[in-house]
Amino acid sequence: MVDSLFYFFAAMMLAAALFVVVSRNPVNSAMGMILALVGVGANFFLLDAPFLGVLQILVYAGAVMVLFLFIIMLLDVDQAAKIPVPWTTVLFGLVLLAVFSGAVWWLVNGADALPTPENVSATPAALPGAENPGAFTSGAKSFGYSLFTKYMLPVQIAGFLLLIAMIGVVTLSKKQKQA
Amino acid sequence: MNAYYSELFSFHLPEVILTGGALLVLAADLLLGKFSSEPVRRALAALLGMLAMGFAAEALSPYLRGDTSALGQLCLLGLSGLTLLLIAGTSRLRHPAEHVALTLFATVGFSLMVTANNLLLVFLAFELSSITLYILAGFDKSSPASAEAALKYFLYGSVAAAFLLFGFSLLYGLTGEIELAELGAKLSVLPASPLLVIAWIMILAGFGYKAAAAPFHLWAPDAYQGAPAPSAALIAAGSKLAGMLLLVRLFAEIGFSPLGPALQTALALLIAASLLLGNVAALVQSNFRRLLAYSAIGHAGIVLLMIGIAPADPQMAFGDVLYYLLTYGLASVGAFGVAAVLEANDARGQKLSDFAGLWQRSPFLTICLLVFILSLAGVPPLAGFFAKFNAFYDVLGSLDSAALTSSPFFWLVLLAIAMSAVALYYYLQVLKQAFIAPAEETRPLRIALPATTALLFAAAGIVLLGIFPEHFLRLLF
Repeated sequence: MVDSLFYFFAAMMLAAALFVVVSRNPVNSAMGMILALVGVGANFFLLDAPFLGVLQILVYAGAVMVLFLFIIMLLDVDQAAKIPVPWTTVLFGLVLLAVFSGAVWWLVNGADALPTPENVSATPAALPGAENPGAFTSGAKSFGYSLFTKYMLPVQIAGFLLLIAMIGVVTLSKKQKQA
Repeated sequence: MNAYYSELFSFHLPEVILTGGALLVLAADLLLGKFSSEPVRRALAALLGMLAMGFAAEALSPYLRGDTSALGQLCLLGLSGLTLLLIAGTSRLRHPAEHVALTLFATVGFSLMVTANNLLLVFLAFELSSITLYILAGFDKSSPASAEAALKYFLYGSVAAAFLLFGFSLLYGLTGEIELAELGAKLSVLPASPLLVIAWIMILAGFGYKAAAAPFHLWAPDAYQGAPAPSAALIAAGSKLAGMLLLVRLFAEIGFSPLGPALQTALALLIAASLLLGNVAALVQSNFRRLLAYSAIGHAGIVLLMIGIAPADPQMAFGDVLYYLLTYGLASVGAFGVAAVLEANDARGQKLSDFAGLWQRSPFLTICLLVFILSLAGVPPLAGFFAKFNAFYDVLGSLDSAALTSSPFFWLVLLAIAMSAVALYYYLQVLKQAFIAPAEETRPLRIALPATTALLFAAAGIVLLGIFPEHFLRLLF
């Protein structure tokens, strides 16, 4: 059951992601991206991480993509013009595709060298507490707990990252007065 | 505040001071900016920024002996400080407070890159500095070239960041660890899997972009050409130093893995491509900034050569890279400073021919340019020569002397030496314009006081590091 659900959502993600690239209408592309992100969220559920799955759908598929749509509609972007692609670009793209497919093939064939539970982790996933605050669990409470203890610094840095982006947007988009 | 938070606070005190300084600069401009003119606002912002850097350096000083990463942070502060002086000296750009604050934020990113000890922090610090630099590259809103520079830098940069993150997540997937020390311990017992190779190639692609190594260099000429001079100086000097010190640490901590040879081959290809493409393409440039960009690609090749020995001797590689990129950074900040002075005076100064007759117009500027260019070319007794000499000496010394010719790194060192001779040609072209070519424009140049200070500090740093390298190197080894 879980397997077939995984295949269903994975296929949905891939198809939607392909649609994002291929579609000429930006609004349709954004819709495709929402679908792809919902697929990612569903896969988080299947991996026993319901909290991440909910966040994925709430934040990405919900808030971020709605903002995308707003901006696309505000800018009133028309259908992308048909730009002829030179054959060298096509050739280069095909070569890259071949290299990448080869790498994936090599990866799948070398799958017996993938890590096994023995050589990766000796300690089972424990509940977080005072002595091991960042232990792996999937609940919202432990997630919040580790964000404010073990991952305090990354959280703060991410916050300042957003501040910097905001300063940049305000500075760059402000109308320049004639000097 | 519990013990954990206060420990975190004191460990990252320099970054906290810089961040506080950036916020203070913004707040001061918000409160006082309405009542003062543009030059006053610029001076105030730059002064507060310099103060924040001074306090951050003060917070670092107890750790300087015995902790080379603190020394790396101090060098980054110095390079960013010189950039701040360049900002204070350019009157063309608007929004001085935001400019200074963003430079401080970029420095926070650099500083975190040098000290980060887990993959999450590494990536966040990488992005903190990158996003700030994208904004700074597009800071000149009156120039379409600046917008183009920012867009290209941003597009390449975000793809590179995606590669880096993908590589990191593969490493995490393989081991379940993000702390570098534990990650290294677990990787060393893993069999060589294709997954590990792909993870490392993606990480190399991400850092290759940061270093502007071929074939990930495509953004560099346009970004160097279009970005405002202080931003270009920051991209060339601070960003590169921080990125490469971080790569040395990654190699040292998690590079010991069964795939050493495969990784070395990939690195050797990057080095050879950078050395050849950078130096040969620089020969035909007629634009000073593009010439600097292509020469930067060549220098990236030499830096990666030093990084190649990092798994064998991390301490030595860290010191060599720090010394090399510090001298390189001082020279690039200086060269961009000279270009900025010319641009401020003539509203041009990008072409090599714009340097014609510089000796008659400002002997001081020409002497500074001479020091910077000769140091980039690696002419003794300037610091650039000792940096290069040190690099080649240590790389050759780390090779197995019995099988010298079978190592790719031996041939790469020979290639790098040959390419240094090629580089001398295009560097001397600049000096030929400045000293010999007849002047089209004979007005004497006016140089703002902060820019003079920055040029003086950079030139003095290069000369002193070249004549007395032992005082600096003693702190490192």
